[in-house]
Amino acid sequence: MTETEEKTGPPVTLIDPIDMTKLDPKFRNDISSMPNGEELSACFACSTCTAACPIANQWDYMPHQLIRMILLGMRDEVLSSKEIWECLTCFQCQERCPQKVRVTDIFFDCKNLAAEEGHVPENVLALGKTLVDKGQLYEVINDWEREDLDLEPEVPGLSIEGIQSILKSTRTGKLVEDGE
Amino acid sequence: MTDPVLVIGAGVAGMTAAVELADNGVKTILIDRKSTIGGNALELYKAFPTDDCFYCFEGNRWRPGIRKCFYRSAMVDQPNIDLKTDTRVKGISGTPGKFSVILDLGPQYVDPKRCTLCGLCTNVSEAFLLASPQCQPQAVSYDPEKTDDGAKKAEDECPTQAINLSAIQTEETVTVSDIVIATGYHEMKPSVVDEYGYGKLPNVITQLELAQMLDPNGESAGALVRPSDGAQVKNVMMIQCVGSRDENYYPFCSKICCVFALKHANIISSERNDSRVSVVYMDIRTYDQHERYYRETRDAGVEFVRGRVSRVESQKDGTLDVHVYDSLLNRYLKFTVDLLVLSSALEPPEAADELLSSLGLNSASGYVGPADPISENEVVAGEHVYACGGALGPAEVPESVNQARAVVSKILQGRK
Ligand SMILES: Cc1cc2nc3c(=O)[nH]c(=O)nc-3n(C[C@H](O)[C@H](O)[C@H](O)COP(=O)(O)OP(=O)(O)OC[C@H]3O[C@@H](n4cnc5c(N)ncnc54)[C@H](O)[C@@H]3O)c2cc1C
Ligand code: SF4
Ligand code: SF4
Ligand code: SF4
Ligand code: SF4
Repeated sequence: MTETEEKTGPPVTLIDPIDMTKLDPKFRNDISSMPNGEELSACFACSTCTAACPIANQWDYMPHQLIRMILLGMRDEVLSSKEIWECLTCFQCQERCPQKVRVTDIFFDCKNLAAEEGHVPENVLALGKTLVDKGQLYEVINDWEREDLDLEPEVPGLSIEGIQSILKSTRTGKLVEDGE
Repeated sequence: MTDPVLVIGAGVAGMTAAVELADNGVKTILIDRKSTIGGNALELYKAFPTDDCFYCFEGNRWRPGIRKCFYRSAMVDQPNIDLKTDTRVKGISGTPGKFSVILDLGPQYVDPKRCTLCGLCTNVSEAFLLASPQCQPQAVSYDPEKTDDGAKKAEDECPTQAINLSAIQTEETVTVSDIVIATGYHEMKPSVVDEYGYGKLPNVITQLELAQMLDPNGESAGALVRPSDGAQVKNVMMIQCVGSRDENYYPFCSKICCVFALKHANIISSERNDSRVSVVYMDIRTYDQHERYYRETRDAGVEFVRGRVSRVESQKDGTLDVHVYDSLLNRYLKFTVDLLVLSSALEPPEAADELLSSLGLNSASGYVGPADPISENEVVAGEHVYACGGALGPAEVPESVNQARAVVSKILQGRK
């Protein structure tokens, strides 16, 4: 017996669903095999992480939704999302997750994967470039402030060359190089 | 001499009550309207919470001959139990402590004391059926509506002359001291919830139908195949709360469907390697220790989607396209599945209301309600009337067995 083409429910034309066959079911394994990603599958979507997050109400995807998207296999959406980069890494979500999902660590894993695939936001790249070029993120330029405090103008013992050369051989250096 | 106890329904609850009463020296009449005892549990494969075969529960293991077949010999061999299958209650009169019950005994086409399960009749006629090799009583059953030319031949040739096609319905009036209602539950046929296409689309089934498919003794010998064309099932989707927690059907939570759905999801993902399972739910209610099934299924990669189905559409290749609204993502998802399994509500069995009204009992959404709703004796349904197991509402086997034991203890106390 073959099935007749029966339909139930509202007309499809109004809805544009995400086609599950186009997603990447291996994405969850990629993440759970990264450092501290093991508990990923334990997530039961309680949204405690989102309740704990100080910044999520500014986001399009909430932390619990990002975890859910990883589990569903929405690789491109997660790795190109701005949220994983805007995470403050305050660890509140991870601290409170009742299933011990290491949410913040998983977002780090996502950033690493995203970086490998070349999805790094411009502003983050710019920060990386500053670090590599200048060896520090916040340059002391207002010497008068130090003067007012009776301090010598140069920060004592600040050596940026070492940092620069280390950074050049890390992924940050590589990303900045590729970005140029 | 004291009158016997009548137990109505020979599922796990009724069987437990009967065997424990009998072991305590109380004469017990155990009736079931079907020709095979065991009730709903007969059709299930592995059981939570132990994942054992359904017929081996601790505490019954000491009983000879029943590992694998719980109470197998006890029901038939215990001299204090008078088992009557194909039997219904026709009328109840008398007073509590001395009820007069008219039993309607269906025609005994096959004498279980004679049938040796030789298989001759089932070979020559469609009307004979062996429900299960472990069925109790150990006999084939005969369905007169399916009768054919072979039936007469079977009657003539049955080596033990167990068949009597001209058997007729009889009546018997018994006097009993107490009545135990153990009539269980029925899985709702979800064709009324038409958005899922049950009854129209062959690959849409219920959890009980899935349990039979997973059972190695079942028709497909345990293989997970599409009913439409027998093709191997790769993607299974389960839908929770079909007809339960829905004021249009049953307002209550059927309580155990989350646990058995996850039990099935576990069996499929651990024993049927190539199959994927998705579960669409509103809440997952795995009470008590059963939370472990939820955790284990997540670890096993079962996909949980919180939301509801928008549409089900069958495709030419036999698959079903299922569109689901994911309320956590606020997005619609489209799945392609081979089998859609509905966790359908567990409803009171047919004619439960007649029994309630003939004994003047309280109804709890159609199930037997406690006589005194604020007392803790949920098994006490009335004066000398008790209920246990699924008859009180959806319950798992251990709970049904405990309630049956509570009933036995009440009856024994009453006889002291
Ligand atoms: C898909 C599924 C999976 C399940 N899996 C599990 C599991 O893994 N573990 C677990 O613990 N539980 C499980 N359960 C629950 C389990 O089936 C029940 O707890 C158990 O069967 C209840 O037993 P019972 O004796 O109360 O009722 P039933 O098994 O329903 O037995 C009632 C008996 O009464 C008879 N009867 C009904 N009305 C009358 C009448 N008017 N006159 C005469 N006879 C009558 C019926 O024919 C039947 O034989 C599952 C249920 C389902 C649907
Ligand atoms: S708190 Fe943990 S379990 Fe809850 S949604 Fe977030 S990751 Fe999932
Ligand atoms: S670590 Fe990131 S995601 Fe987690 S609570 Fe803090 S800001 Fe939110
Ligand atoms: S032929 Fe007779 S003995 Fe053999 S299975 Fe049928 S009824 Fe039983
Ligand atoms: S046990 Fe689960 S599926 Fe069943 S009615 Fe309750 S919530 Fe719904």
